[in-house]
Amino acid sequence: MSNVLSAVVIVAALLAAAFSAVTALRDRPMGWGDLAGLGVLEVLLVAQAVVGFVKLAGDGGPHSPATFIGYLVAAPILPLAGAGWGLMERTRWGPGVIVVAGLAVAVMVVRMRQIWDGTGG
Amino acid sequence: MAERERTGGGPGRLLVAVYAVFALAAGARAAVQIATKFDEARLAYLLSAVAAVVYVLATVALAVGGRVTRRIAVAACSVELAGVLVVGSLSLADPAAFPDATVWSGYGRGYGFVPLVLPIAGLYWLWRTARSDRGRVVRPDGDG
Repeated sequence: MSNVLSAVVIVAALLAAAFSAVTALRDRPMGWGDLAGLGVLEVLLVAQAVVGFVKLAGDGGPHSPATFIGYLVAAPILPLAGAGWGLMERTRWGPGVIVVAGLAVAVMVVRMRQIWDGTGG
Repeated sequence: MAERERTGGGPGRLLVAVYAVFALAAGARAAVQIATKFDEARLAYLLSAVAAVVYVLATVALAVGGRVTRRIAVAACSVELAGVLVVGSLSLADPAAFPDATVWSGYGRGYGFVPLVLPIAGLYWLWRTARSDRGRVVRPDGDG
């Protein structure tokens, strides 16, 4: 796991969540700005998954990698689901869902770091 | 669109989204626990699996939001609320019985107490939408 990359992912996830929170508070449906935030986040998560798997194949990583792999694979699904929901729900609750997705991704990356470093279950 | 309020639309989407995240989290966690170390804490891991099933059920039922699924959602949220209260209390009273954490341990402490808030929010939302639904769905069983 790369410290720099996970920090960037966390910041991107929080920024995307904040942007969509503003959209929701302004009572707008999902716009291009929200989609751009999700797009950047998605690219970063895919990059993280690639880096993660390469590192797992190399120097080992966490003691039991099953949970870690679960997070690695599940995280990139969230921005996609958020975008899909934003397209379906053309009210403020579309970006509302994106806020949830962004926060969830941030929490997941924090958990991944903990698992990688062997701190916490 | 002048359609009657559904459980899966508007603010309900937010609820369904949070439920979906928890269904994913609890399901993945239970799968890993049972697959890799089931013998270490059978009760905790079975509870994780049960919690995951309930979350999935609640997610789908809230998203669909028909007449039958509404009842399923009420049941799922109620089971969840009971689960988080009972397991939360037990895990504090008798930590030895729960050598490894479940989503419901310590009233969902490991998950920011969201497991405790979620079923309450779900039941409230179901109650709200049922009221605005009254013209169409007669609810013979109140809380009497």
